[in-house]
Amino acid sequence: MKNTYTSKVHPVYWIMILPMVVLFFLFHTTPFLQGIFYSFTDWKGYGIWKVVGLRNYLQVFKDPSIQSSYLFTFKFALTATILVNVLSLLLACALNSKIYFKNFLRAVYFIPYILGTLIISYVFRFIFSNIIPDIGRALDIQALKVNILGTEHAWLGILIVTVWQSCAFNTLIYLSGLQSINPDIYEAAAIDGAEGLYRFAKITFPAIAPFFTINLVLCVRNFLMAFDQIMGLTSGGPGISTTTISVLLYKRGFQGGQFAYQSANAVMLFVIVMIISLVQLKLGENKEKKYE
Amino acid sequence: MNRKVIGKIVAGLTLITAAAWTTVSCSKKSNIASIELFSTKGENVATLQKLADKFTAEKNGSIKITIISPQDASTVLRSRLTKNDIPDMMAIGGDSTYTELASAGVLENLSNEPFIADIQENYLQMLYDVNKDTSKTAYAVPYAANGSGVLYNKTLFRKAGISIPKTWDDFTADFDKLQKAGIKPVELTFMDAWTCLPPWNSMAPVLQPKNFTDDRRAGKTTFAATHREILEKYLVILGKASGDYMGTSYNDGNKNFAEGKAAMMINGNWAIPEFTKVNPDIDVDMFAFPSTNNPAENTVTSGIDVAFAVSAASPNKKAAEEFLAFLVKPENAQFYVDEQFAFPTVKGAAQNNKTVNGVKDDIAAGKVSNFPDHYYPSGFDLASILSQFALNYKNGMDNETNITQTLAACDKQYDAVNVQ
Repeated sequence: MKNTYTSKVHPVYWIMILPMVVLFFLFHTTPFLQGIFYSFTDWKGYGIWKVVGLRNYLQVFKDPSIQSSYLFTFKFALTATILVNVLSLLLACALNSKIYFKNFLRAVYFIPYILGTLIISYVFRFIFSNIIPDIGRALDIQALKVNILGTEHAWLGILIVTVWQSCAFNTLIYLSGLQSINPDIYEAAAIDGAEGLYRFAKITFPAIAPFFTINLVLCVRNFLMAFDQIMGLTSGGPGISTTTISVLLYKRGFQGGQFAYQSANAVMLFVIVMIISLVQLKLGENKEKKYE
Repeated sequence: MNRKVIGKIVAGLTLITAAAWTTVSCSKKSNIASIELFSTKGENVATLQKLADKFTAEKNGSIKITIISPQDASTVLRSRLTKNDIPDMMAIGGDSTYTELASAGVLENLSNEPFIADIQENYLQMLYDVNKDTSKTAYAVPYAANGSGVLYNKTLFRKAGISIPKTWDDFTADFDKLQKAGIKPVELTFMDAWTCLPPWNSMAPVLQPKNFTDDRRAGKTTFAATHREILEKYLVILGKASGDYMGTSYNDGNKNFAEGKAAMMINGNWAIPEFTKVNPDIDVDMFAFPSTNNPAENTVTSGIDVAFAVSAASPNKKAAEEFLAFLVKPENAQFYVDEQFAFPTVKGAAQNNKTVNGVKDDIAAGKVSNFPDHYYPSGFDLASILSQFALNYKNGMDNETNITQTLAACDKQYDAVNVQ
């Protein structure tokens, strides 16, 4: 592997990567750059437009609904990330231990990932609005009698659905991490007397640290851009209490004809997500180095 | 090794994303002999298709019409315009979609077409009012109108011994009488935020000052100074509504109403077919929302539900205009109105269904106001503000604080989107 940079690259690599580069540039980079350009105009999405400089960006900072959607998105992303990672790690450890029906259970826990988010959301919308209130009435529990999606706690309903679905994929990644640990290490640990939580903290967790990093990055990115489940469950309501940035972008950008203005908002979201992801990767890298 | 694993996962995800992007298909081009009619109202496709077939037969097949209406059609239409892939003909509402299309210069000016004379003046005026410069230019032909007010179950009204209320005081008294008779007075479905709009839309045109729209746009007045009474009356209705209305969806509410579980719904004629789907025998009618104690002032809220527009850039403009002239003929307009359960905007057609008897005369006599939200800038999300207002009430917020806060939110958001 020495002298990678000076040695001649075999043309087959170029052939393999070139179509990808072209497609990626055409369908991803170009619209992205267009979006950045239009964020400096007053384009409505069609028709005549002119360049307006930084006006859109200045307006973004003054818009109360954008501010509240950022607050909500961060609150949601933080809570969901923590819950998803804690739960999936627990699930993965359980599914990696010697239990009966291990493969069957793994399949069961993976099913939510295969289902479409919108479908899940519609099913849960029905459960929240029709089934749970019936249960509440039958058991006479006041808190369950009302549809949670119609209260100020609507975001908890969304959180439940999101966590339930996201755990599947994260568990899978943690599982693959756990399986990559050499059993010899555990044996050595057992001889040294490391058990239970202590063993988890000193051996298991450091060994799967890179998986933890990638899970965190993916989670935060996904939840900062949460869209499907919210459109399916509450459409951002009641009020704008569950409007994430993506939902706001869609509603105002496409339905409200504020394409350029919301492009500016989208660029800001992009910058924020990028910074957070880079910071996470950097921190994760340091942690991994420490254990290597 | 760690880096490799991460690298693999990232590469895999990139591939999946790229694959998803490439499957996004391109739109097809319309061919020369045919007209593409884009309807933002999925419900009217079957009716339009019948009219189109009749037209094609009349023309011996020389003009072919394809009708499409995708989900979330206004959004799709907007995104098609971004690609400059404009349908030859569009059936759109007389709302912000029309304003935007017209002001973007993609619609043909139809003012000089002879069939404009066959359209009722008050609906043409409604269309002019939503032109960005409010000029008397018709970039579309109003074809059908809707009506919004109070839908009521006649059987339940009889049971409680009440008749159609003409004044606000009678209206509120009827709520109590229904309650006393053991009938749930009103079914509100605020889980779908847009259903918070109909009560506002009924009261605002009557209770707000005459020049509010223009003055507000120019920043000469505020919601806080003019719309207090509307919210006060809104709170009265919320106070008399029972049940988990914040958690009831439009579909569930329609079902409940159709099954006779509530006496009234504050919504429009478009909900009636939803009731008859569940219960074909329901005895339902509609009356104008009694916003004030003076029956002469109360109006039915009625807006342009469907207007036909022609793309200025279409190569088949002539054919599209021929089809338009055909649609506006009274017998065809009548056919549309009957099938679609709409109110006509074309002279010589009439809506005779008994389920809208209570508002038919008001509409025919022009005792109507347009939906006030058609005049608000697009992006002004009043539905969300009102849904928050209702939630605040449910959470026991003090009425005075709630009203002040809500009106302040209206003004703040209006100013935020008025810039664009």
